[in-house]
Amino acid sequence: MKSLDLDLLGYLHLLKVLAPEAILVVTALVVLGFGLSSSAERMRPLLTRLTLLGCLAAGAFLLIYPENAFLQNGMVVLDPIGRIFKLAILGLSFITVILSAASPVRRHFAEYLALILFSTVGMMLLAGTEDLLMIFIALELTSISLYVLTAYHKRSAASAEAGLKYFLIGGVSAAFLLFGLSFVYGVAGTMSLRELAVIAPHLANDPLMLAGIVLTLVGFGFKVAAVPFHLWAPDVYEGAPTPTAALVASGSKVAGFFILAKLLAIGFGSSVGMADWSQFRPGWLPILAIMAALSIVLGNLAALVQSNVKRLLAYSAIAHSGYMLLGLTSANVPGFTAVLFYVLVYAVTTVGAFGVVSIVERRRGGSQLQDFDGLYKTSPGLSLSLLVFLTSLAGIPPFAGFFGKFYMFSETLAASAPGTNPGMLWLVILAIALNAVSLYYYLVVLKHVFVAKPAHEIRLKAVACAPVIGALALAVLLLGIFPNVLLEPISNAVTAYTKEIAKPMQAR
Amino acid sequence: MTDYPLLVIFLAIAIVFPLIPLALAWAWAFFFSPAKPGKDKGAIYECGIESTGAAHIQFQSHYYLYALVFLIFDVETVFLLPFAAAFLKLPLAAFFALMIFLLLLVEGLVWAWAKGILQWK
Amino acid sequence: MILNATFLSAFLGVLLVLLLPRRFEMLSRWLALLASIAGFVFACKAFAGYDQKSAQHFQYVTQIPWIKALGIQFFTQADGISLVLLVLTGIIAIAGVLFSWNVTQRPRAFFAFFLTIIAGVYGVFQSFDLFLLFVFYEIVIVPKYFLIAAWGSTNREYGAMKLTIYSVAGSALVLLVTAATYAVSGAHSFDLMVLADHAHIVFPASFQVWAFPAMFLGFAVLAGIWPFHTWAPTGHVAAPTAVSMLLAGVVMKLGSYSALRVAMTLFPQGLEQWRNVIAVLATIGILYGALVALAQRDLKFVVGYSSVNHMGFVLLGLVTLNTIGLSGAVLQMFSHGIIGGLLFAVVGRMIYDRTHTRDIATLGSMHLSKALPFAAFTFTVASVASMGLPGFSGFIAELTILSGSWKPFPLLLIPTGLGVVVTVAFTLRALQGSFFAAKADGPPDPAGHHEPFDPITLPEKLGACLLMATTLGVGLYPKILLDPIMRSFDSPLMHQLIREVASK
Repeated sequence: MKSLDLDLLGYLHLLKVLAPEAILVVTALVVLGFGLSSSAERMRPLLTRLTLLGCLAAGAFLLIYPENAFLQNGMVVLDPIGRIFKLAILGLSFITVILSAASPVRRHFAEYLALILFSTVGMMLLAGTEDLLMIFIALELTSISLYVLTAYHKRSAASAEAGLKYFLIGGVSAAFLLFGLSFVYGVAGTMSLRELAVIAPHLANDPLMLAGIVLTLVGFGFKVAAVPFHLWAPDVYEGAPTPTAALVASGSKVAGFFILAKLLAIGFGSSVGMADWSQFRPGWLPILAIMAALSIVLGNLAALVQSNVKRLLAYSAIAHSGYMLLGLTSANVPGFTAVLFYVLVYAVTTVGAFGVVSIVERRRGGSQLQDFDGLYKTSPGLSLSLLVFLTSLAGIPPFAGFFGKFYMFSETLAASAPGTNPGMLWLVILAIALNAVSLYYYLVVLKHVFVAKPAHEIRLKAVACAPVIGALALAVLLLGIFPNVLLEPISNAVTAYTKEIAKPMQAR
Repeated sequence: MTDYPLLVIFLAIAIVFPLIPLALAWAWAFFFSPAKPGKDKGAIYECGIESTGAAHIQFQSHYYLYALVFLIFDVETVFLLPFAAAFLKLPLAAFFALMIFLLLLVEGLVWAWAKGILQWK
Repeated sequence: MILNATFLSAFLGVLLVLLLPRRFEMLSRWLALLASIAGFVFACKAFAGYDQKSAQHFQYVTQIPWIKALGIQFFTQADGISLVLLVLTGIIAIAGVLFSWNVTQRPRAFFAFFLTIIAGVYGVFQSFDLFLLFVFYEIVIVPKYFLIAAWGSTNREYGAMKLTIYSVAGSALVLLVTAATYAVSGAHSFDLMVLADHAHIVFPASFQVWAFPAMFLGFAVLAGIWPFHTWAPTGHVAAPTAVSMLLAGVVMKLGSYSALRVAMTLFPQGLEQWRNVIAVLATIGILYGALVALAQRDLKFVVGYSSVNHMGFVLLGLVTLNTIGLSGAVLQMFSHGIIGGLLFAVVGRMIYDRTHTRDIATLGSMHLSKALPFAAFTFTVASVASMGLPGFSGFIAELTILSGSWKPFPLLLIPTGLGVVVTVAFTLRALQGSFFAAKADGPPDPAGHHEPFDPITLPEKLGACLLMATTLGVGLYPKILLDPIMRSFDSPLMHQLIREVASK
């Protein structure tokens, strides 16, 4: 193991590379400080603006600081693809903070914002690491902050239940994850993903390594709400305060899939395995394929019968995790690029959808389907935005969600031996079929919005976050028509990254 | 590979061995001392004195908050110990790095203090 | 560029309509009319400017790289088939707007959805990149749902959902085969001309044997192939007039056009194997649609099932795989588009909006031939055209299809001929029963609409005249359409349909 001692200059360099995270931490502490004053209620706008300023400063720093970095044997890295994802996570937190300004969280508002910032720091650390231990620490930082954020509504039993479920299931899966990572470390003798990539070909079929991979995937499966580790998702999405649910749905998914992709591509790149029809080989690919199949089936079918929109979005999130895991089964660079593109598009769409839900919830008192009746009349802009978000989630052109799904499905099919061998066709058929089914439940929500008569006339006051939601809808539309705007930077960054790595996963 | 049968036998004995006394105790109780609960037999033992009042008292949740804060600083101490042990061999920058760590935790303490968590309620 | 102007003008129309403030919402009809006329003018200009003698079969090419990661291009061009259908879209768009002139409930949303469908349809007919075609194909789906669910009539929410789910299921099949084709071909491209170039890209027979029926079926669901046609009567009946016109007029043609342009050209061996099955299904559709229409009491259901019947002809023509049959199929697409549009316009706008009933017996007692003479005249013309009377476009189309089917499917001509006879029967029954009921002094109808009906408005008359003139014009001078269509089958892309498969 290389020596990790640093001198003053080394620490300063580390600080510069981690400056966005440091800025966020300082912002959080300042917000906490202001929140301690007695006039906390009147300080809400100030606190929100401080937080937003902190996010903007961190983002500006990321954009300005040009150099890449690889510090502490991979514990802290800064590379182009990581930069894109850190910016995306910052953006999602930014929007979450804007949404929380309109949320009914009354007491301890400063702590709420601080926890969002801490969670963001965890996610950004996830996007900037290649070390097993650091992955675990960052994941825990994110998750614990989210557990508390979920249980924030003190007067709501649903919120407490959601927080407790999230915490218990999350704690158990963190144990699985750590156990798995410890197996991997025990077998390989290194924590760094790059060194693992060099050593791993000799260990490709080592039983302990495979056991470690399975346990690690269990931990990540929880994080991204894949079946059968999804049980927390419906309750958390439904019970948590809506801005928290938005962050869980978007930010933690983005960070989770990014680090999962990195781990699978680099660290476990030699134990890929195969899940083709009638041609199974052990590795992480068959596990992902089965998790994907189960998630897609359960997520879509369960969403059909939901009457609460937030719960419906939760099951749809489970299904989308399935699609993204399907994308990961392509096990090559274009396929992973497709997944990274789709997870960003999905996060933008979800956070927008939750934004609309939070506004409706605030004014109508609930998020049942009936509460959306007649939304077209009171706020046509919000209704149109919701139409954009939900049709994008359903995979209908010309929105970004369609292109993302199409790209993932095409790359997965192209990666498995095409032509005579059916390959991964079984999984793609399942996914496309259930994607068609999913249009039904999105249309049900939209039916209530556009077709049903409102129960009573409520004029929704103009809310500060409405323009943001409109901007997100526009972004989803534009990304659908011009996906290259996002796809090219991601593609170039991934290509640059794979050139650096010793051994990316072996293509089939 | 050849040790596995031995391991299975060992496991079997390990499971059976503690269960035998339990099984015997249960069998004795079943055959020779059937349960006949009564008011005096079921009363709570309190050194021969009659017990008064309900057994349920509300647990002060404030204990939990103290324990939580204690735990945080206890773990901080655990981190400080190896730092203290290697202090002389570490460069100056390491000192500043750990001071930042300590500072973060002190800020947490300040916050807890200001929020009134350290006041017994 | 002129081709792209068709759908760009429609999208521009959507944007302008949505931006209208509430006070001016009735202006949305004028905007929609302007956008439709603009699109029609562009389509006609392109049609007129098409050089039939040129060696370049595909003209007005626009080819821009779009998404390099998958080799997707923005690739539009047109040959005779495309241009004919583009003109059809223009005519139906104008007629649809004219027949929706009386929409007062949320007109901005109505016309925005309407124009989105029109834009999508224009796009499909000119796209030669598989991905682009699929994008336009799917754009049409969601607006259909809202138009039917919010502005429709009988059982609208159920009808809308059924129609949408059927459409999406069909699209899912197409999506699957598109992605699979990309994967199997190995060519980093979705360009139809490249993928259908069987000299360079050969799809294995084991792939074609399932890929072809999946893709054909996926497209044909939207074309109303039996037995996946049940969405059509329910959906058409539930839809408001303009949407029924659109659905029967152009949206069903999306399915058959795409089946011809994409499914059949990409997988010739698959086509060979499944050809007879499709022919049988088409014939069943013809006969079944006619027989069921004969038994209907609701006039709109009669028209809905007649759509299934006419589309059966299209599908039969498609699998004849000779120039005559294929050209007949395309002509029938055009012809039925106009005639179906006209039928739905009369039933929906002229009759139902005034009488609030579609029951044939009830209508019969209202003496509509006297109360609404223009409607009676229009419906007579439409029925006669639908029956395939010479002088109207339907006759030429059905004649060419039947001529084309003689060689490959001689036995199927018997049930098809039977279907034609039944078509005459149900059409006459519907016409006579609703307009010209024998008893002049029948019992008073329970709906109690004995007051004089609103006269037929000018927009309705204009729309009806436009449609009637088109079908009559094409019927009297079919060469104007048949020539470009038949010429299109000489292009290498389309000609391989004929050469490769007919010579067994």
